[in-house]
Amino acid sequence: MSETVSVIEASKKKSIITVSHLCKQYGAVAAVDDVTFSINEGEIFGIIGPNGAGKTTMVECISGLRIPDSGSVAIYDLNPKNERENLRKFVGVQLQMSALPPRIKVSEALNLFASFYSNPLDPQELMETLGLTKKRNATFKKLSGGQKQRLSIALALIGNPKIAILDELTTGLDPDARRETWELIESIRDRGVTVILVTHYMDEAERLCDRVALINQGKLVALDTPAALAAKEGGGIHMQFAPSHPVDDKLLAVLPGVTAVHHRGTRVMVDGSGDITTQVLYELLKADITVKDVQVKSSNLEDAFVKLTQTKGKTLKTQEAQR
Amino acid sequence: MSVKDATPKEASSPFWELLKVQGKLALREPMGLVFGIALPLILLLIFGNIPTFNEPIEGNSFTLFKLYIPILMVTVLIFIGLFGLPIPLLRDREIGWLRRISTTPISPTKLLAAQTVIYLILAAVGYTIVMAGSILIFGVELAFNISGFILALVLATLAMFSLGLLITAVAPSQSTGNGITMALLYPLLFFAGVYVPIQVLPSGLQTAALFTPVGAAVNALNSSMNGSFPSFVSLAVMAAYAAVFGFVAIRYFRWE
Repeated sequence: MSETVSVIEASKKKSIITVSHLCKQYGAVAAVDDVTFSINEGEIFGIIGPNGAGKTTMVECISGLRIPDSGSVAIYDLNPKNERENLRKFVGVQLQMSALPPRIKVSEALNLFASFYSNPLDPQELMETLGLTKKRNATFKKLSGGQKQRLSIALALIGNPKIAILDELTTGLDPDARRETWELIESIRDRGVTVILVTHYMDEAERLCDRVALINQGKLVALDTPAALAAKEGGGIHMQFAPSHPVDDKLLAVLPGVTAVHHRGTRVMVDGSGDITTQVLYELLKADITVKDVQVKSSNLEDAFVKLTQTKGKTLKTQEAQR
Repeated sequence: MSVKDATPKEASSPFWELLKVQGKLALREPMGLVFGIALPLILLLIFGNIPTFNEPIEGNSFTLFKLYIPILMVTVLIFIGLFGLPIPLLRDREIGWLRRISTTPISPTKLLAAQTVIYLILAAVGYTIVMAGSILIFGVELAFNISGFILALVLATLAMFSLGLLITAVAPSQSTGNGITMALLYPLLFFAGVYVPIQVLPSGLQTAALFTPVGAAVNALNSSMNGSFPSFVSLAVMAAYAAVFGFVAIRYFRWE
């Protein structure tokens, strides 16, 4: 793809959305509680968190659909609170749980939305890209879940936005449709669109997002790349194997990076971080121990997610400056 | 990615596109169409073919069928005001379509306006079917008081469309909207005189009917189609309903 160039350009990390001390209260519940972060141009920024964590409220404040109680949002120096009109011209929004009239046709919906913008994409080409051309004359209610979702994404993109906000876009899709949708999101990013992706699927965030913000109970709990979060918070690497002779725990426990050694039956389990696999195998080789059935599992975002969302009340404020 | 910017062609106006889409949707969603146009047409054909409807009423020069012409026109309005106009809007709000529109540079007010225009056109088609059918198929002779007729028709339309928008505004969901509509349907049909013409009701009920938007509409249309200017009361009642319903609808309208 020739658009790789734009990815490289995007990695210059120009911040275009700044959220500072954002608060939004529903009755006694703080849906968003003093959240601060910024989003760089051209990245896929994930907002993850358990159901009801305040993710949707947060992006609704960013897109100007809701007015925050306090704090501020700036998008290219525009404030969504009083410059909604301007903002809507270059922010495409795909809302959670938003359907189209059942009898509207795919091409009609796209042509309609195209007429709302001054410099829209060509509906024909967008349908082609999203694999909707064959369904152009199908009504919304006749579309499959994946097709509905693709149409919904198409409506968010038809206005040729600089920023696309996509809320829970693969919920309810089958595995094939999810993969298709992911590829689509990556291709959007490759065109230079900044994507804000709200999701509660960790595999999705891990696969797509350049950085993720983990929200729990309205608070920002962590902000980093998925890999860094997984390594830092997910508990590192778990390795296990069946040795040919009993292994002295001390032999392995002293290795740099190893945090624990346990046994289950004849199997040995080693926890740690960094390059422990090579070191453990090398050490065993030196001790003339051969191993069978080696399994290595590195922690993923889901491990980090579970750990961070279960430590209630503990807020790890990852400073932007760290990055 | 093969998506490029569209070559600038003549920009089609968002409102025109909304009109086209809402128009197509109205034709595909049979409720408004069936009740607003097919039903009066069928009633027209049935009533027109009942022999007694075409005989002069005792002591009068007009037939029962002629009495039913304004009633059928108001029936068109009842079905459009209660079903065609509000129900799709309630659905569009419930499924998040209006909210979705509100994330674009276009205000959902434009969708509301387009929907209103489409159903105004359908109402006009309904009136035309009833009047043209009576005159051309059944040879009814109408003596129009033109200014009175236009005024009566405009006010009747305003009052019933305002009612439709009021239902859209106050009903929290499509199902409560349906409930409100069903609760209003039979009283409105009754006071319009669909079951029995108002003229044969006891005088108390006749007076009550005149103070409903539909009774006033039938009364005003009936006068104007018999050569006289509608009574002040009938016009004032319709204007008052239009103003009150319209005001409340605008005041309490919700987009989500």
